[in-house]
Amino acid sequence: MIMTEYPRLGERVCRATLENGLDVLVVPRPGATKKLAYLVTDMGSIHRRFRLEGKEHTVPAGSAHYLEHKLFDLPDRDVTAQLAQLGASVNAFTSYDMTAYYFSCTEHFRECLDLLLEFVFTPYFTEETVEKERGIIGQEIDMNMDAPESVVFEQLMEMMYRGHEIRTPILGTAQTIGQICPESLILCHRAFYGPDNMVLCVVGDVDPAEVADLALSRTGREKRPVAEKLCPAPEEMTCPAAYKTRQMEVAMPTFQLGFKCEPIGKGPEAVRQELAADLAAEALFGESSALYLELYQQGLIDQSFGGGFESVDGCALLTCGGDSMDPAQVRDRILARAEELCREGLPEEELLRMKRSAMGRRIRDLDSFDSTCFRLCAYHLTGFDYFDFPAIYESLKAEDLLAFLGRVVRRERCSLSVIEPLGNKEEKHG
Amino acid sequence: MIRTISLLPGATLRAFPAERFKQGCLSIQFLRPMDRQEAALNALIPAVLLRGTVRRPDLRAITQHLDDLYGASVGALVRRVGDYQTLGLYCGFIEDRYAFAGDRVLMPMIDFLEELLLSPVTEDGVFFQDFVDSEKRNLIAAIQAERNDKRAYAAGQMMRRMCAADSFGVPRLGEAEQAEKICPRSAWDHYQKVLRESPVEIFYVGGADPEVLAERLRQMLGKICRQPVDLPAQTPFRDGGGGDHTELMEVSQAKLVLGFTTPITNRDRDFPAMQVLNALYGAGMTSKLFMDIREKRSLCYSIGSGYYGSKGIMTVSAGIDARNEGLVRQRIEALLDECRAGQISDEELTAAREAILSGLRAVHDSPGSIEGYESVAAIGRIALSVEEYYQAVERVTREQVMAAARTVRLHTSYILKGAAS
Repeated sequence: MIMTEYPRLGERVCRATLENGLDVLVVPRPGATKKLAYLVTDMGSIHRRFRLEGKEHTVPAGSAHYLEHKLFDLPDRDVTAQLAQLGASVNAFTSYDMTAYYFSCTEHFRECLDLLLEFVFTPYFTEETVEKERGIIGQEIDMNMDAPESVVFEQLMEMMYRGHEIRTPILGTAQTIGQICPESLILCHRAFYGPDNMVLCVVGDVDPAEVADLALSRTGREKRPVAEKLCPAPEEMTCPAAYKTRQMEVAMPTFQLGFKCEPIGKGPEAVRQELAADLAAEALFGESSALYLELYQQGLIDQSFGGGFESVDGCALLTCGGDSMDPAQVRDRILARAEELCREGLPEEELLRMKRSAMGRRIRDLDSFDSTCFRLCAYHLTGFDYFDFPAIYESLKAEDLLAFLGRVVRRERCSLSVIEPLGNKEEKHG
Repeated sequence: MIRTISLLPGATLRAFPAERFKQGCLSIQFLRPMDRQEAALNALIPAVLLRGTVRRPDLRAITQHLDDLYGASVGALVRRVGDYQTLGLYCGFIEDRYAFAGDRVLMPMIDFLEELLLSPVTEDGVFFQDFVDSEKRNLIAAIQAERNDKRAYAAGQMMRRMCAADSFGVPRLGEAEQAEKICPRSAWDHYQKVLRESPVEIFYVGGADPEVLAERLRQMLGKICRQPVDLPAQTPFRDGGGGDHTELMEVSQAKLVLGFTTPITNRDRDFPAMQVLNALYGAGMTSKLFMDIREKRSLCYSIGSGYYGSKGIMTVSAGIDARNEGLVRQRIEALLDECRAGQISDEELTAAREAILSGLRAVHDSPGSIEGYESVAAIGRIALSVEEYYQAVERVTREQVMAAARTVRLHTSYILKGAAS
């Protein structure tokens, strides 16, 4: 394995790419009792269309998430129970563009890792087990429909995008999950769960070479074909809908505001754009910005307010949101402030302060095993070494931030999604 | 491992020396009885303190100062610990060695903490009206926002009904009606009383020398005129509520919450057995509730139990289709009966014990979890150390779990469901 030192962060990472293409990352944490392992594939809910061995396929919305639920099944035993016997807790999540399976344990790390690798690489689905899961996921969908933070975000995605799959909820809908069957799950697994398409990341007091050896013995030497993702045509930088409101059982109005951005692609340049966009958001409406103070003092936002830049395979957006009695005014003030910032410029000392703060927060986050593992994996899939972030921050200039704000924070690129308390009887479904 | 240093009468520093983290944390908590009359006041005060100091009179000046301290954070801390409510501040900051050469973070952080606590912006000798008004609005919004999270809302509604005569019936942030009544004068007077009388607990995790820190903190607390008053001991559940309750709301999914009582609290010898019972009955993905009601019968996505050791309350909550309420309730009872009858497999017992033990082993792996666990244990006056608790859980037998299950009684039920269902 190759070890890289990051003296500024006090970190080391050991890396290897196995013969079968699986990337293995180990962050040694001597003296820590907890061990955390993530096994990640770069298939998420948006990857519904793909070409595998010359043939094009489209799977129902919600397939990636359904697969995540069902992958825990093995033909002969209950792997969750087995991990529990070892004191490990195991879980998984599906996002728009990745699916992660992970466990944390304090003892029996080898056995736990072996089980994780076994169940993720062993697809086993029967009509009966797939059918049984429908009720469970149906309840998960119902739960989300009652959660204002999910509804307001999903409504925003529908408003901002014409063709990108981010329009569709990660879980799918009651109707689309009705179409999922063992065959479609097998197909997704074959398409995206080859070792060559995945990354294994471990944080803890473990032997890196042992992790790589174990991974190889469980996943075999053979490479497997990986599906080619079929992406919709690039979207215009305007939003189909500017404003939509919907009523729900909430105490006060809550909103999400989105600005459509150009997709950033992959690699270090993409990450540079991402961190620049994040700092630009900080300068515009972050807690230390002039605008935040004004809006807070005027009671237009409260501590629930927050936002940042998000990048998903094939699309990117700047969002912010929270509870507010007047979301439209918050939007207008943000638009006006962006113009003002671009005109007046950003003082050098302010940029320096923001960089120091952003770096300090990222360094503190490294104490969290989960955040470290998640970020290493997510950035690895975009072709970037996350621990290189200090150098990127140093290279950022005020012009980078302002160019981003000038291009993106514009009325034609913006959608405002609002959830209002139930008030009148005419409920408009967005 | 924890160094306990008495700073002044009624003021204690607990320091957990740790070199291996990139960040340190320090919390200061004033202890109050959990009381309907003052809960909202206690919740409001830290938020007001965070709005401005004489030297840094607005949010922006404060945030910029924190930015200069490498993105340090200071947040309001309002906890329920049994019959107590704590109010205070929580600071997180990078260790000095990660700052640029020569920069210091910890001591400037303590200076700033002192500024926040002892030099708030005042007007006519009391808190600044604007700050109190806007934080009152925010507090009321936060209290009402419980309604947005239907699971939390249902759990809170059940607790109010179950604990009508117990301090557990008072929500952590108090009630909106009480918050409405607060004015700058009442908040100021109350804060002065808190500073004067309340026991103070300071918790620190990090690489600095505890003695040096203690000296600095003594100096800070020495500026307050203190007449500390002891708090009454923690009490077991006081019965005064109960019944079956239904609330209608426009929701897709119904939330069922059941409240159970047990005489076993975290001050009792049987506490570890009760914890194991809770784990095997309803906590996690291998528990009886999860395996039967979700995995076997597909009746829900989320289901689980929780045990509040300071009171001896166990709750079960589930998000279900309202039409299945009868069946789900019947299974919840039947699975508890299995525990009472000792129908507990070796695997279930091991998994439950291991889940608790793993959690305990990992307590000391991050500054936040050390602070969270150890300061709450100290304030709640839990007799067992992590190590003793660990050994006790390892020794819990099936018979002890059965005995614990037999003490558990259903007390209150609550369901939130759609008006149409």
